[in-house]
Amino acid sequence: MPSRTSCTCTSIHASGRRETLATIVSEASRRATALRERATFDLMRFRKFLLLLLHDKLAAAGLVIIAAFIFISIAAPLLVGPYPTQFDRTKAMQPPSNAHPFGTDWQGFDVLKLVVYGGRVSILIGFISSIVAMLLGTTVGLVAGYYGRVTDQLLSRATDFFLVIPWLPFVLILVAILGSSLATIIFAIAIVSWPTTARIIRAQVLTVKERQFIERARAVGSGNGFILRKHILPNVMPLVWAEAVLTISSAVFTEAFLSFFGLGWRGPGAVESWGQIANEAYVNSALLRGLWLYFAPPGIFITLVVLGFAMLGYGLEEVLNPALKRRV
Amino acid sequence: MWLIASLNFFIVQVLPGDPTRVLLPRGSSNVTQGGSDLRAQLIRQWGLDQPITTRYVVYFANLAQGNLGTTITYQKGGFPVAGVIAPRLSTTLVLVGLATAATMWLGIVLGRISGWRRGRRVDVAITMGTLVGYSMPSFWVSLMLIFALAYIVPIFPAYGIQSRDASTFNPITQVLDQLYHYFLPVLTFVITNVAWFSLTLRNSLTDTLPEDYMLTAMAKGLTQKQQLRKHAMPNARLPVLTASALYFGWVVSGAIVIEEVFNIPGLGQLTWDATRVRDFPLLSGVFLVATLGVVVANAVADVLYLYLDPRVREA
Repeated sequence: MPSRTSCTCTSIHASGRRETLATIVSEASRRATALRERATFDLMRFRKFLLLLLHDKLAAAGLVIIAAFIFISIAAPLLVGPYPTQFDRTKAMQPPSNAHPFGTDWQGFDVLKLVVYGGRVSILIGFISSIVAMLLGTTVGLVAGYYGRVTDQLLSRATDFFLVIPWLPFVLILVAILGSSLATIIFAIAIVSWPTTARIIRAQVLTVKERQFIERARAVGSGNGFILRKHILPNVMPLVWAEAVLTISSAVFTEAFLSFFGLGWRGPGAVESWGQIANEAYVNSALLRGLWLYFAPPGIFITLVVLGFAMLGYGLEEVLNPALKRRV
Repeated sequence: MWLIASLNFFIVQVLPGDPTRVLLPRGSSNVTQGGSDLRAQLIRQWGLDQPITTRYVVYFANLAQGNLGTTITYQKGGFPVAGVIAPRLSTTLVLVGLATAATMWLGIVLGRISGWRRGRRVDVAITMGTLVGYSMPSFWVSLMLIFALAYIVPIFPAYGIQSRDASTFNPITQVLDQLYHYFLPVLTFVITNVAWFSLTLRNSLTDTLPEDYMLTAMAKGLTQKQQLRKHAMPNARLPVLTASALYFGWVVSGAIVIEEVFNIPGLGQLTWDATRVRDFPLLSGVFLVATLGVVVANAVADVLYLYLDPRVREA
């Protein structure tokens, strides 16, 4: 008897396993279909979104500028060859020539090469600082807006405080004391960049949390953390994206000032950012020697990138926030 | 204000980073070179061996007496920070005052035009132009202006706030001479900051113009000028004032760069020097003064807001 029982048992087991397998397979295929449908839906939405964005001339122009600069930064070795490393004082501060269209810097390096590579450092720092600032700003905005009362009071005061302090002396003092490394520069830039985001996110959370579905979620017993993560965050996320792009713009700008004050960070392979190139041109009085092609290009590139991200950011804001639409 | 001072204390005293390193030659913290004795002495002198709470109390006690500590490097060190800052404050205030007045005036003029004619070619040109100016780093703008208008075409002085022989001029010429020297710095300021006012005014005008009372004003037969001056502007200028709270932080930042580039002996130039030699007491003193300045400016803007808002004024 025991053996039979065991036999039935295994057969049940076997059939059960087969059934489970079948369910798993069908479940998987169902999920795959759902996923594919969702992906196409997302893709369609994305395409629609992109079309809308490209329809906005400002955003489209910004996108083109950014794409161009990211391409230049990545393809730098292909465009101008390897980054110069051979320090040669005899070739320093040369006026523009055929070999060096923008002349050479104080180390004898080709300015064109420096400028093309410079975007790597400037844009990289902009991206990372923006991510850090978004994490900080979004968290503060969510918590302040959702919990309200004393929490909101405290966080909002802190936000206002960091919003009004003069940003340049603040980042200068931070980086001067902490020493200039990638981490400290990003920390300093993020510290002055998060408040605007926190403010905007908080305002958005205030309107979202009054909606009915939040009340319903609470009625079925969802916790605060769950509501924040699953219901409120997705609703403010589009704004976070727009803010992130705008923050990259201001981060690149801030980095340029830090570097111009001699507190810049050199990228891997001692690559200089645009701000550092401008600083060296200034310190070596390039303009007084008439070498304006040494000083002008880094500034133009900073302006274009800052402008590009700002235009894309404003465009995104307009597409995502219909209330702003009529301003166009 | 207590918050600002505390933050200032926190930055200099609590963050990692060793101020004694600046004064001692590199590598001299090595015991064999006797550097550590000197270091220990410095640490005692600055009270760095005291617990943090004691230092906090001492810091505020000093602050209450207007004592910001002594500089490390400026004029061979030991010079009181407050004594270095005070004479430079007035120069900076003149620059910032002139620059803000010019920026505000131009910003309001441009903002009014582009708000009234939004979507037209003028509006697009103004919006793009101010946005480009806003994206340009001020150090670059100022140096390029010097290069173009003081070097290639030498019509403006490249640096300083007065001519070398200014003391021989009569008072009126002296003032004119100073204004002449301030032209390029102020122009840099206007180019990089005018977007603050022109864009906020444009946006708030855009919000104001579709209102019903504007239609009424038009129906009453008021001219465009009257509509703007009597009905649109009083409402539209309030957001501009609110936006200026953020603008003041930029004023200080702009002044630092512009003063260094144009060799104007103000607080900004001091910041540059202090940064180069890592003079922390001086740097933190400047930061404190600058932040206090911004807070005061914001308070003034708040009072102005009350005055300019008719609803509040008459209540």
